[in-house]
Amino acid sequence: MTWWKRCSDRLEDEIQTHIYFETQENIEAGMSPEEARHAAMRKFGNVLVAKDQSRDVWGWVWLERLLQDMRYALRGFRKNPGFTAVALLSLMLGIGTSIALFSVVYGVLIAPYPYAKPNEIWAPAVVGPNDQVGFWHQYPLREMVEMQKLPAFADVMATIPKSVVMTGGTNPEGFYGVYLTGNAFNFIGVKPLIGRTIQPFDIPLGGEPNPVVVLTYQFWQRYFSGDPHALGKKITLNDVPYAIIGVMPPRFGWWTNEAFWLPLPLNLADDTSVNVIMRLRPGITKQVAEQQLQQLNVRLAAERPQEFPKGQLRTVLLNYMDITQASGEMKSSLHLLFAAVGLLLLIACVNVANLQLARTTTRAREIAMRLAIGAGRGRLVRQLLTESVMLSVLGGVMGVLFAIAATRTITILIPPDYVPNEARITINGYVLLFSLAVSMLTGILFGLAPALRSSRPDLVETLKDGGNGATGSSRAQAMRNWLVVAEISLSVVLLAGASLAIRNFTRLLNADLGFQPERVLRMGVTLSPKQYTTFEQRNLFDQNLLASVMVIPGVEAAALGNGGMPYSGWESSYAIDGRKPLSDDRKIVASLISEKYPQTMGIPLKRGREFTETEIENVSHVALINESAAKLWPAGVDPVGGHLRLDALEKPLKPPVLMHAGDNSDLMIVGVIGDTKNGGVGDATRPAIYLPYTMIAPPDRQIIVRTTGAPLAMVNAAREKVRELDKGVPLTRPVMLDEVLGQETQQPRFNMALFSSFAALGLTLAAIGIYSVISYTVTQRVHEIGVRMALGAKRGDILKLVLLMVAKVAGLGLMIGLCGSILLERVVRFEIFAKTPFDFASLVAVVLTLSAVALLAAWMPASKAGNLDPVTALRHEA
Amino acid sequence: MTTREQDDSLDLLQGTLDLLILQTLAFERAHGHAIAKSIEHRSEEVLQVGHGSLYPALQRLMKHGLIAAEDGISENNRKARFYRLTAKGRKKLYHETSRWQRFSDAIARILTPPGSGRRVTTVLAKGACHDLVEKM
Repeated sequence: MTWWKRCSDRLEDEIQTHIYFETQENIEAGMSPEEARHAAMRKFGNVLVAKDQSRDVWGWVWLERLLQDMRYALRGFRKNPGFTAVALLSLMLGIGTSIALFSVVYGVLIAPYPYAKPNEIWAPAVVGPNDQVGFWHQYPLREMVEMQKLPAFADVMATIPKSVVMTGGTNPEGFYGVYLTGNAFNFIGVKPLIGRTIQPFDIPLGGEPNPVVVLTYQFWQRYFSGDPHALGKKITLNDVPYAIIGVMPPRFGWWTNEAFWLPLPLNLADDTSVNVIMRLRPGITKQVAEQQLQQLNVRLAAERPQEFPKGQLRTVLLNYMDITQASGEMKSSLHLLFAAVGLLLLIACVNVANLQLARTTTRAREIAMRLAIGAGRGRLVRQLLTESVMLSVLGGVMGVLFAIAATRTITILIPPDYVPNEARITINGYVLLFSLAVSMLTGILFGLAPALRSSRPDLVETLKDGGNGATGSSRAQAMRNWLVVAEISLSVVLLAGASLAIRNFTRLLNADLGFQPERVLRMGVTLSPKQYTTFEQRNLFDQNLLASVMVIPGVEAAALGNGGMPYSGWESSYAIDGRKPLSDDRKIVASLISEKYPQTMGIPLKRGREFTETEIENVSHVALINESAAKLWPAGVDPVGGHLRLDALEKPLKPPVLMHAGDNSDLMIVGVIGDTKNGGVGDATRPAIYLPYTMIAPPDRQIIVRTTGAPLAMVNAAREKVRELDKGVPLTRPVMLDEVLGQETQQPRFNMALFSSFAALGLTLAAIGIYSVISYTVTQRVHEIGVRMALGAKRGDILKLVLLMVAKVAGLGLMIGLCGSILLERVVRFEIFAKTPFDFASLVAVVLTLSAVALLAAWMPASKAGNLDPVTALRHEA
Repeated sequence: MTTREQDDSLDLLQGTLDLLILQTLAFERAHGHAIAKSIEHRSEEVLQVGHGSLYPALQRLMKHGLIAAEDGISENNRKARFYRLTAKGRKKLYHETSRWQRFSDAIARILTPPGSGRRVTTVLAKGACHDLVEKM
């Protein structure tokens, strides 16, 4: 501004000098000094105008005009508080919710991992000739080392969780420790919170790795209260002292979020399979990498055919993001959610567009007037643009603030286990830009519409219109009607979609589990494979443990085994009564159980009988199946008494799992029990078979206890019983089945909350928009109503007229919306929610709500107008 | 608050004024008052709205780089701001003067012959004049 001031001062001086010279001349010509000065001033003309016009030339004029436009715009906003509030509210809610919900969903479900370039991490899968999709293939370490040599891969790492017993405290405690190759932490690319991570030099080839351990944040907090001096201290794991070298940040949870990471010995003679992931070398395509790995796989399959599918195999690289993240039903829900975000934003935009158009119509006369008295078109456009931009920027800023607040609130409201360990929820920049751009552009474009239209104005017509722009320009009216139609139909689709998603989640939440999880406690015991070396030793311990747990007061029933508690088990191929299933890939889920399993889980017996104690003790080749498995028998054939060959029993299992020597794989079915959700709450029941647990003896077992009282009160008594049998055996991870299921239903519940809030916001936005636009439109017609009343129309006639007009528009919108919803429902039903029943009730509710809003919006101003004195109405100038 | 037509006449005046200023400065530098006096001698009409209208024109010419300003002492020993023609301004002056010359020659030729075409040609001339001034 100093430049500005300097120029102004100089101009002032110059003008004064000019007047001085003129005055001097006049004096010389014989005038009195006073007279001379007056004459000089007269001759100069208007000093202010001269200065003003000079300043215009300097080019600062745009700033002054901008300020003037802004002042004018603000005055306009103040004069139309309703318009301003609704437009700002629409922008704020539309932009804000879109950003917030997308950011949360993105952080929780789409890209929850803080790993370096997570989309470039691949996992190998092998597909058999009859398989549709591949499963993540595991390899022994030595094969991983060969894989590292393939030119296509830049880096290959391996992970394997193993159960580890920590001693040194009052009780031994069991964990799943995660063993990693030396390059793993660098591969993942996450820095430790303190200390260092496991490095390649920690693991010599063929030798013992350095006894070092990296802790999870949770472990560090629990055992060291977050003390940084924990670094260098030692913890005893499987009787070996390990030095703590680092702690990872809270949200880092590679395969564990409660235990620790250990160096995986690089013992190439070890047959244990590890989980391999890799990064490709830059410039190498997925196809090339797959080709190279395929060659390796073919060779390996020739060496160890039992580890690969029979027949022609195919190698596929799966993106690690795809494996670990939302897939299946969850993915479909996400797509729905994105559609919902889009629709919401669209509704907000239509709202703003509609309001701008409605306002424009009112201002048509003002604009015509300004043009008529000589305002330049450019100036007018600039002013309207200023208004629109101001409104949009204000709305955008409010929207971003709202998004930040909403994201914070949602983040706070999410209980810790609802989202993946590593999820980071931050405002997503791209969505922020996109939402802002879309809604602001809409506001600006539609705000400019009147100025653009005024390039071919019929000023006389508009002015003659007597301020009643709405009735005058039928084109604007039609446009607005179409926008209302669009708005209503979009809202219907959004709300119908949301209700569909909500119903699907409700179904997930209320799914019939097939068992009673209430008051059931699950614990794990881990025997040291070095101490319990024989099959008999292990089974004896288990039998004794089960017997002593059953007599604890308050225990209603107890069972022991592996799998089916309530999920998992071994997948195995099978043959029924000597016949193989049609497809080689048909699998049955096998679980090991003790005789009281059905009773403890609360699974009803459907046919036949349960196991007897003697059958368990004698390792009889008997089995129970679930109802889904019973359906594998030919119709009309009773599976009870039938035989099933379980291929898994033929393959020798790898140590430390022990099996009865010389086992045969033929099982006689003695009973059928009810189906359970054995693959997860959201998944279909898989055919399952249950065998006496004594048939196979892994070092880990699970115990389930159904209690009469509070289940957790039982933990200490059970721990005592374990200690009586063997002081060195830890009792691990006591958890209630309710809780296990809870984790499963948490995400659907969270999603449901998201969708519900979305639906509520969508409805609010739509209602605000529809109401404001319709009532605005009706208000525009007050003049016309006055004319009609002056000509003798009754109040009822007026109401009928207005309601009919609105009903037509709203009806059309509802119809289009319903068609859209039904189409959506069709698509979604077939692809995703096949099991979700079609629900007319919620659709009807949506339609009724929107109709009510539309009619109310029409009725309020119309009835007011109907009550008006015709003369007042005629004079009404909107 | 001007209508389109008023704008036109102003444009016309402005164009003429600009040219007159350039011409005034063609031989020597001058301060505002001197320029005003010089123009006043030559054309009563252009400065009819007052000497003040000279200043926006000077600012405009400066902005276009046709003239430059410098401080100096006037003949009666007062500090004043002097304007002089730049190279660009001199070129412009030459160019425009010859255009004016050709234009007024044309006008003269058109206006001389008597007869029926007279009204049309006047209108034509007016249009051409308008074009010319706008191009400045």
